[in-house]
Amino acid sequence: MAGLLEVDRVNILCPDSGIRLPISRLYFCRHCLKLKSGQCVSHEVDSHYCPNCLENMPSAEAKIKKNRCGNCFDCPSCRHTLSTRATSIAIPNPNDPAKPTTKKAYYLACGFCRWTSRDIGMPDKHIASGAWQVPDNPYVDRMNELLDYYRQLAQREKQERERKRISRRRSYFHLQEKYLSQVSTRRRSGALLSALTNLSVKESEQNQNLSVKGSESVDDVEKLPPEIYNEPVNLASVCTITQRLSQPEYQPHYIKQLYPKHKHLLIKRSQRCRECEHNLSKPEFNPSSIRFKIQLVALHHVPEVRIFSIPNLYFQQESQVTLMLINAVENQTKVTLQPMPSSDHDVATASVTLPGSDLVLAAKDDTAEYDDMNSDYPEFKDDPSLVHFRKANKLAFFVKVTPEKAVGDVIIALKVKYNYRDMAAQFRRTDEDKDQEKEPPIVWLEYECTINLGKLVDK
Amino acid sequence: MANTHGHKPSVKIGAGAVVCVEAEIRGDVTIGPRTVIHPKARIVAEGGPIVIGECNLIEEQALIINPKVGEKIDKNSGTMTIGSHNVFEVGCRCEALKVGNNNVVEAKALVGRNTELSNGCIIGADCEITSKETLPENTVIFGQSCNRRVQAERPPPQTLQLDFLMKILPNYHHLKKATKPKADK
Repeated sequence: MAGLLEVDRVNILCPDSGIRLPISRLYFCRHCLKLKSGQCVSHEVDSHYCPNCLENMPSAEAKIKKNRCGNCFDCPSCRHTLSTRATSIAIPNPNDPAKPTTKKAYYLACGFCRWTSRDIGMPDKHIASGAWQVPDNPYVDRMNELLDYYRQLAQREKQERERKRISRRRSYFHLQEKYLSQVSTRRRSGALLSALTNLSVKESEQNQNLSVKGSESVDDVEKLPPEIYNEPVNLASVCTITQRLSQPEYQPHYIKQLYPKHKHLLIKRSQRCRECEHNLSKPEFNPSSIRFKIQLVALHHVPEVRIFSIPNLYFQQESQVTLMLINAVENQTKVTLQPMPSSDHDVATASVTLPGSDLVLAAKDDTAEYDDMNSDYPEFKDDPSLVHFRKANKLAFFVKVTPEKAVGDVIIALKVKYNYRDMAAQFRRTDEDKDQEKEPPIVWLEYECTINLGKLVDK
Repeated sequence: MANTHGHKPSVKIGAGAVVCVEAEIRGDVTIGPRTVIHPKARIVAEGGPIVIGECNLIEEQALIINPKVGEKIDKNSGTMTIGSHNVFEVGCRCEALKVGNNNVVEAKALVGRNTELSNGCIIGADCEITSKETLPENTVIFGQSCNRRVQAERPPPQTLQLDFLMKILPNYHHLKKATKPKADK
């Protein structure tokens, strides 16, 4: 079953973005009932965490610390994680000069390139963590000045934009305040509220003089030391470009000046459908957990087509290919396969004869692997010329493929129509319908899929 | 270095060395005192004799080989000398003729015939070094493209590990007996 590993053999067309992706890369929005790809969703930062100590950090704190962990360091030479090692040193006891007491001294060391904090002359510390100092940025004042200036500029531009917007929509403001139910209107009216408060109070600050001293050019530049022309470069003591640029504030020349930096934080991201603003993927808060609170991936909702077996394919000769359909939901699903109408952007290089009747897939049952299997399913009357075999929620069936192009891969395209039990529909109903309907409605959904069957065989 | 028995060159093991019976030692090999050789380590002296110093640690599946080059066996230049306090980690392969003190050859590393290790060098895991040179002191070779850098100080000796192994290995393995040391010329 190499089909499990070659995932990009079977690609599904995402209707909104127009890109073809395997089913494992698509999401399924339960409310819009549509497939979404990574480009049709909005990506948001969920939480920050350090990859080494797995410590969660609230976003405000992360912003202050410039997205760096407080405890962990990166090796300046190879950028792996530094670990703290201890040696015990004997120092004379102040009470009893005859007996030396052993104290622990800590230093940072890299397990990969064997860099230690002693290489740059940093003395060993007496506490395990929290004592390591990073040297100050020599240009921090100038940077802060520039950052403040640009922040004020951005604030002023935002206010002007808001002022233009609400002067057009002033009449609707009180209406929006009443119906603050959906997320998007809440966001918009929040901005309106803030803009209004800013305007009313701080008119005078608008005319504040915002300016910053520009950079001055210097005429005489420090000359190169004459040793550059005479002495050969000692490669062992000079930094590589990567090492130098990883510390943009100091840009040291020599490795003796390379200080360790705090480790960069990673983020957990959540994804949201752009149309209905519901979350499609939301990870757990705990950094060491890889599970999801919400995981609406296409694999769990949409029947999957897989290649089961391919015979040798010859040009313009009809051969029988076995495909497999796998049901992802826990109720019976009917699947109809239809040929794709030919258009200008045809990806298919072979024509395919699909089974005319509906294929019925059994429900996915998680306990099926523990029961004794009786492999014939009397409740499904399967046509043996159409169906190869059926096992639990899988069904293998035959299609006839005739390759039409003499070179290149054999690609067939088909439309898969399946019925889906819409569980999320109850949230969309109004109060009157709630008494009548108890059953979730069944809708027919479809997707287009292209299957790459591989290369042709020469006769 | 004349062996009075004459027919087969033998293995001379110094006092205090822990050499497990499962280690394969072939040819003319001298092992210094307090060296630990794990089971399944291989020391093969086919092209010439091997002299190993003291307090070394040779781990499992390490291969220290003095390979036969062509048909000649040159006794004088073909002796492989390994100093003291070296560590040969699991699965490494060392063919260098001269290895100094305090070196570490990490797991699955390869040191070729033409290279010489001075003191304090560390050959990182899975690195191969076969260039014809003597590595300067305290060189570290690491990474997939065998980057180099120079350390400020040599790697710390593994005395704690050696003490532990000298106590524990005899509990689980039979050891080769130490031979009386022969006087050097």
